Amino acid sequence: MKRILLVIIASISLLMGCAAQNEPMTGHNEEMTEGHGHGDAKITQHFDDSLTKLTDNNLYSLELVIPNKNMMMGVNTVEIIVHHATGGDVAQGELMVTPWMPGMGHGVMEKPVITERGGGLYSVDNVIFSMTGHWQLQVKISKDGKEDSTVFDFPEVKAMGHEHSMMKAPPPEDLDYSTMKMTAGDAFTVMYKSTSGRIRINRIHSWELTVKDADGQPVNNAKITVVGDMPEHGHGLPTQPEVAKIGSDGLYRVDGMKFTMPGWWVVTVSIMVNGVHDSVSFNLNLL
Amino acid sequence: MRNNSIRTVGFAVAIILLLLIANMTVPKTVLSMDQHTWSDQEKAILGSLWIGSLGSLPVDPSNKYSDNPKAAAFGRKLFFEDHFSGNMKVSCATCHREDYSFTDNLPLSHGMDTTPRRSMPLAGVAYNSWFFWDGRTDSLWSQALGPIESKLEHGISRTMSAYIISKYYREEYESLFGPIPEITEDKWPQEARPAQDDPNALKAWVLMTPEQRESVNRIYVNMGKSIAAFVRTIVPQPSPFDRYVEQVQAADTTNPRMALTNDEVAGLRLFIGKAKCTNCHNGPMFTNSDFHNLGLPQNKKAAPDEGRSTAITQVLSSEFNCLGKYSDAHPNECSELRFIDTSDKKYVGAFKTPTLRGVTDRAPYMHAGQFATVREVLEFYRSQAQNPELGHGDLTDKELNQLEAFLHALSSPITSLQADVK
Repeated sequence: MKRILLVIIASISLLMGCAAQNEPMTGHNEEMTEGHGHGDAKITQHFDDSLTKLTDNNLYSLELVIPNKNMMMGVNTVEIIVHHATGGDVAQGELMVTPWMPGMGHGVMEKPVITERGGGLYSVDNVIFSMTGHWQLQVKISKDGKEDSTVFDFPEVKAMGHEHSMMKAPPPEDLDYSTMKMTAGDAFTVMYKSTSGRIRINRIHSWELTVKDADGQPVNNAKITVVGDMPEHGHGLPTQPEVAKIGSDGLYRVDGMKFTMPGWWVVTVSIMVNGVHDSVSFNLNLL
Repeated sequence: MRNNSIRTVGFAVAIILLLLIANMTVPKTVLSMDQHTWSDQEKAILGSLWIGSLGSLPVDPSNKYSDNPKAAAFGRKLFFEDHFSGNMKVSCATCHREDYSFTDNLPLSHGMDTTPRRSMPLAGVAYNSWFFWDGRTDSLWSQALGPIESKLEHGISRTMSAYIISKYYREEYESLFGPIPEITEDKWPQEARPAQDDPNALKAWVLMTPEQRESVNRIYVNMGKSIAAFVRTIVPQPSPFDRYVEQVQAADTTNPRMALTNDEVAGLRLFIGKAKCTNCHNGPMFTNSDFHNLGLPQNKKAAPDEGRSTAITQVLSSEFNCLGKYSDAHPNECSELRFIDTSDKKYVGAFKTPTLRGVTDRAPYMHAGQFATVREVLEFYRSQAQNPELGHGDLTDKELNQLEAFLHALSSPITSLQADVK
């Protein structure tokens, strides 16, 4: 819900702000960059806490808005506002966004979903960071044959709910191990259980998820992603689980869960349905 | 009175002295009691490592002969048969020596030639999900078939194998698997196999009729399934560690003959605690069956070994995998293959966590025999303290000694459950 609101606000501010170019207004900063003979390249910024960058060849100004403030392990949504470096928003540009882990030399299989919202605003859903650690978002823009790109850097992506957890740090004492939780944006409640009882390490097993909306109604036909991670070690599951709907009571089956180490695991379940996107992280302590 | 009081004081002093002397001996018993006292959580971990939690041999749904004693007896013969090699000298037992924990003592195994990796131990191999150091097969029977066609190992072809079976083992084979189609040397080429490393063998294979290829594949697969039926019966016996766990679980910790020495117990405490060895070496076989890149020293003369990374496509494309036509499994039973992590870049240079049962009886160590002794392995892990996957705590020399002592306590005789089957 928060996100939809943001999209509306962003769209309005873009429609108003950018239609009247060069007209200074509150919260709309334009900075001149220095050197390299690109003195006319400038960064356009609408939000105080957004990230801004000029593309490598100074063709475009990018503003990256993260509605949840921080990029997290799991599925993220971001908004990217694209301006020409010389001013003016870039409509109908071709955007390519790639999550990348520079230290590991790999990305993720799932591609982000990009939707143009108008006025140079693009929302990017399904940005998956499959584990904690150093991530990048590679953004490539192409408009009228002019292509340019840049990289946004996220040196320390963490598991949700553990903003202060350090690599190798022991799990917080008061860690919440409940198996039923609200998602971060309160859109859904999610319950999980292992279909074979107690979860044992090194065994492939299945989970059953029950997803309900804020009114307690079952949520069917959601696109659900499950990623597992060990915050103390910075690596994920040794398998790629699959999620399938069962029946119509908001029940989903997750096959192919496997944990290969004892200790603290974080399993993040992300739910996307009817344009609403929210996720929740469960803590597990396995013996 | 005075005398009395002096006597009383003297008596009291004597008692205090006695108590003090007694006290000096108390710490010893307290220490040994403490040493064998484990928290409930620790006891649960000990139980999870105990051989008793291993359970019976896991069913291999892809091999319907896996628990057939006749197939195991046949497989045992094939295992030791050196006809299945280019020089008639190499059998499975060449690199998996019965007298050396079913592995060999070389850094790099040597069949027809020197291979790029160390031979894997076989005790308890049936409990694995993936086979070979890189897990390029998903069953023991398809693993057994790999070395036979490798130029560096047995160095023959599947057609030659089928021919040897038809010539020397026809009766035994047919009683298990049915009649062998007519095989004569002039009708079937001897060196035909679907080889990527030998154009002539590949050409000969392609020129065979589909029926001939199918016949050869069937015999070859049945060979693998028989060898697997034997190899899966090779299991470790209980070790001193297992007897110790039984003593702890039975609260028999005042027994003057504990199964582990004080140093070994201290090592065990480190193993499941500070040194975090159970992060990867967990479960009753002391392995999580997963693949990890430890940053081991590389052989500079050879091309980099990509490990698990290249094995992912190999196992998925193998005609002998769990989902293939030669597997006896229902597709739903192939969970490991179905949920295989295809992130190949994540597994560059990653190799399987080996079992630690009997580890001190089978030097050298690591996938390419990088280390000659267990001590060198422990020293290597200590040097990797900054690696989040390998953080084993700041171990002192004394603690390293204790860990090494504990690893010795994982030794046990190895037996084959089928050894008496003739």
